[in-house]
Amino acid sequence: MPIQDNVYGALLISAIDFILSFVIIGGIGLLLAAFPLLNRLGKLDDESLKKPH
Amino acid sequence: MFAQLIDLMNILKDQTGLAQLSWGNVFMIGVGITMIYLALVKKYEPFLLVGIGFACAVANVPGSGLTQPGGLFYYAYQGVALLIVPPLIFLGVGAMTDFGPMIASPWLVILGAAAHLGIFVALIGAKLLGFTLPEAGAIGIIGGADGPMAIFVTMKLAPHLLPQISVAAYSYMALMPLIQPPIMKLLTTKKERDIIMEKPRQVTRLEKIAFPIIIAIIVNLFFPPIAPLITMLMLGNLLRECLLVDRLAKTAANEIMNIITIVLTVAIGSTMNAEQFLTLKTLEIVALGLVAFMFGTGSGVVMAKIMNVFSRGKVNPLIGSAGIASVPIAARVSHMVGNRENPQVYLIMHAMGPNLAGVFGTAISGGILLALLGVR
Repeated sequence: MPIQDNVYGALLISAIDFILSFVIIGGIGLLLAAFPLLNRLGKLDDESLKKPH
Repeated sequence: MFAQLIDLMNILKDQTGLAQLSWGNVFMIGVGITMIYLALVKKYEPFLLVGIGFACAVANVPGSGLTQPGGLFYYAYQGVALLIVPPLIFLGVGAMTDFGPMIASPWLVILGAAAHLGIFVALIGAKLLGFTLPEAGAIGIIGGADGPMAIFVTMKLAPHLLPQISVAAYSYMALMPLIQPPIMKLLTTKKERDIIMEKPRQVTRLEKIAFPIIIAIIVNLFFPPIAPLITMLMLGNLLRECLLVDRLAKTAANEIMNIITIVLTVAIGSTMNAEQFLTLKTLEIVALGLVAFMFGTGSGVVMAKIMNVFSRGKVNPLIGSAGIASVPIAARVSHMVGNRENPQVYLIMHAMGPNLAGVFGTAISGGILLALLGVR
């Protein structure tokens, strides 16, 4: 186990996990903020998607 | 002749479960029946509690053999132990969920991380109570308010704690409408609860189809420990959003979900045997779970208050508590509290964004936890 099994280890793992979670979720947020750019590629029509070939 | 009859009766008695029946078993049978009562009479999560309560009662009748190899409860548990059931639940959840509110309000996803402070409070609390670090991690994940993820992480870190952790996680999720509102009101002002948020933008079909594909690739690339769950969540969502395979989407959301719910509830209930469950550790885990839910709710609301300040009064802080996950219960609680305060406040769509982000927040926290503890 890379982290010691004591209270210090629990504090360390919590701090790293909490901060990293913010960074990664923030990254997902940034990615989602760019999603409207996808619409420049074109438009998908619901009715045409539902039709089989 | 009489003595022979008594001997025969004793032999017969030894063949039944009566000989091994303990007071602990009797108590746990009572717990199982109470769960069924709560489900049927009080309507607390009947889809979960009926199966868990029934399996708990039956598993505590000695001699039934249902929880031993050859018994059906045993094989139901193998579905959980081998981590087949949680990803299948996520497949169903993905097929039922519209991620549009999360895509429409990307800045609100940060609440999905903020509302998970409870995980770490419970983790540190568990360590202080003498649990090992992997056990403490599994207990902490109760605060993620995500049943399948709690099971998944527990099976990787501390499988012997599965009954306590799964029962605590699902029970508190059912009790969200009681746990959250007092904390939400305590941390917000009347003026904040009255904030009417702007309508989110419409998300196009192309964005909804791209979302599961992009997220599945990213999660598999960066978070292999939790990839089995999120991948299935995204597959279920793609089946839903592509519109062409609605039969598959409906099967995942209905038939598969229903079958897996039966297997899951039976598996959890069957692990609640008296010897393993009636311990001080169970009480400690249940208490830590409650602490985790309370801190998670509080930290989400505080973060939403901060966002409200920076957005110049555009964010109703009540949506912060939805970041704890537990889709869609926590979002409904945000809406309910706001709507009771002011009938013109409709928060359900706004709260769904952080609520769905909370699923990712729990998964990411769990994934980092597994990675830091060296578990794959």
